[in-house]
Amino acid sequence: MTFERKRIGIVCPYGWDTPGGVQAHIADLATYLISQGHYVSVLAPTSDEENLPDYVVSAGKPISIPYNGAVARILFGPIAFARVRNWIAQGEFDLLHLHEPAIPSIALLACFAAEGPLVGTFHASAKRQKAIFAIGPILEPVIEKLTARIAVSEAARETLTEHLETDAVVVPNGIYARRLALGKLNDQWSGNSIGFIGRFQEPRKGLMVLVEALPAIIREVPDVRIVVAGPGDSAEFLESVPPYLRNRFSFLGRISEEEKADFLHSIGVYVAPNTGGESFGIILAEALAAGAAVVASDIPAFQALLGNGKYGELFTSEDPSSLAQSISTLLKDAGRRNQLKSDGKVYAQYFDWDEVATRIYDVYEMAMVGLGKVTLSSENRGWNKFLGK
Amino acid sequence: MNFKALVILFLIALFAWYLSFLATRLDRLHHRVETSWANLDGLLQRRAAIAIEIARSEIADPASSLLLTFAAHQARDASVKDRSQAETGLTGALGILLETSETMQGAIEQELLRELSELNEKIKVAISLHVESVNRTILIRSKWIIRTFRLAGRAPLPVTYEFEADVL
Repeated sequence: MTFERKRIGIVCPYGWDTPGGVQAHIADLATYLISQGHYVSVLAPTSDEENLPDYVVSAGKPISIPYNGAVARILFGPIAFARVRNWIAQGEFDLLHLHEPAIPSIALLACFAAEGPLVGTFHASAKRQKAIFAIGPILEPVIEKLTARIAVSEAARETLTEHLETDAVVVPNGIYARRLALGKLNDQWSGNSIGFIGRFQEPRKGLMVLVEALPAIIREVPDVRIVVAGPGDSAEFLESVPPYLRNRFSFLGRISEEEKADFLHSIGVYVAPNTGGESFGIILAEALAAGAAVVASDIPAFQALLGNGKYGELFTSEDPSSLAQSISTLLKDAGRRNQLKSDGKVYAQYFDWDEVATRIYDVYEMAMVGLGKVTLSSENRGWNKFLGK
Repeated sequence: MNFKALVILFLIALFAWYLSFLATRLDRLHHRVETSWANLDGLLQRRAAIAIEIARSEIADPASSLLLTFAAHQARDASVKDRSQAETGLTGALGILLETSETMQGAIEQELLRELSELNEKIKVAISLHVESVNRTILIRSKWIIRTFRLAGRAPLPVTYEFEADVL
């Protein structure tokens, strides 16, 4: 088949400057597509118009609103809408890839304004919400315009079928599995250590469950330590930890990609005690790829990712005693740990970007069959024809 | 009096706009069904072509070669309504062959098999896209307002494509 250079527009709903799974996913995808020779433009809300990668176009400053148990920095309104229309009109895109088009953001606006090959990716998984049923009839005709839908996990797909009654193709999030597999052993972190990466102050990340489980773990494994990486105020967090446990914690702050690989490779077990709101669990996939033995809560996304316990231990979500038991058993059983480490490494290759991006591009190709370019939509084509527009 | 007439006129205009909005929406869905079908059809044709090529290659013994050629031709000639059954037949034939051909050597054969498995992945996606657009269209067309005002016009009701995706 002959290779064609395509013009691809990607819309990111969340503020580009705030770190997050969706933004990271889009950045990686855009980089990959550009490396394949395509033209890519990403439209995203940004607070800082400078220091943006070449391919990002700012849609204006995002506003913070609470959504799905976290604070989302998104953007909408008439000015944003005008910018979105402009971007679409000037971009001459062969395809638009909209992320999270079901929340009120520029992705939804773009879906409303555009016509032609549209692909939507749904990241979030949420419980059945009454609000969605109320706005469902408004969203439906908009979401319907998507030529193809992608869900990042079975959980996200279920959310989609429940809320909007449409189906989606499941393509997981991508990670740099090959790069992560190169991690080296660092004695500083190895031994009976429990690792955690993420915004540890967010309640839904569940680090407090680990704190509650800690006394029971110490009884079994006296020299256990907890190493936390990720942005946040460690002093503030430690105030909520009982004083006699505080010296068990060490905080690394934000770490680089290479440090991450070494970190995940070295720690005794990686723990993901998330209490919900997670749809895929990219960090778990990364931990597996780097060869970490994983203990995770049994929320649906993690169950699916870990093959129901085949590639990592699952504990009852929000239950400290169950978590304590899983961790101490695993820390004391080196054989099981090594088994998990090597199995997980092989399994995680499936999420490597090369693999994932090819699958996303397959979906792109199917969406582009016979639909021409992306244009601004007219909701009333009949009338426009009648009026000679 | 005048005010009342204006309101009624406005409501009629609004209703007319709504109808045309629905018609546009439906038109878009019909369009989507056509393109997703064209896409799926193209992929299936390619699969049939590969199947015939496999039948002629070293991979297949004479008996399965005959079976495969027959199934491939049937899949190509089938009308839209019988298509899914014919394609399922081809899937079955290919499945039997692939199960027994794991020891296959030779670069050309390997290449064919690889191409086939890649195609199967794409077909899976194409089927789910098509089924989704067909279901959506049928769902929208069953709304009373669309039936009452015959907004679907003369467009034929899309045929559900029942493909046993798990066979692939």
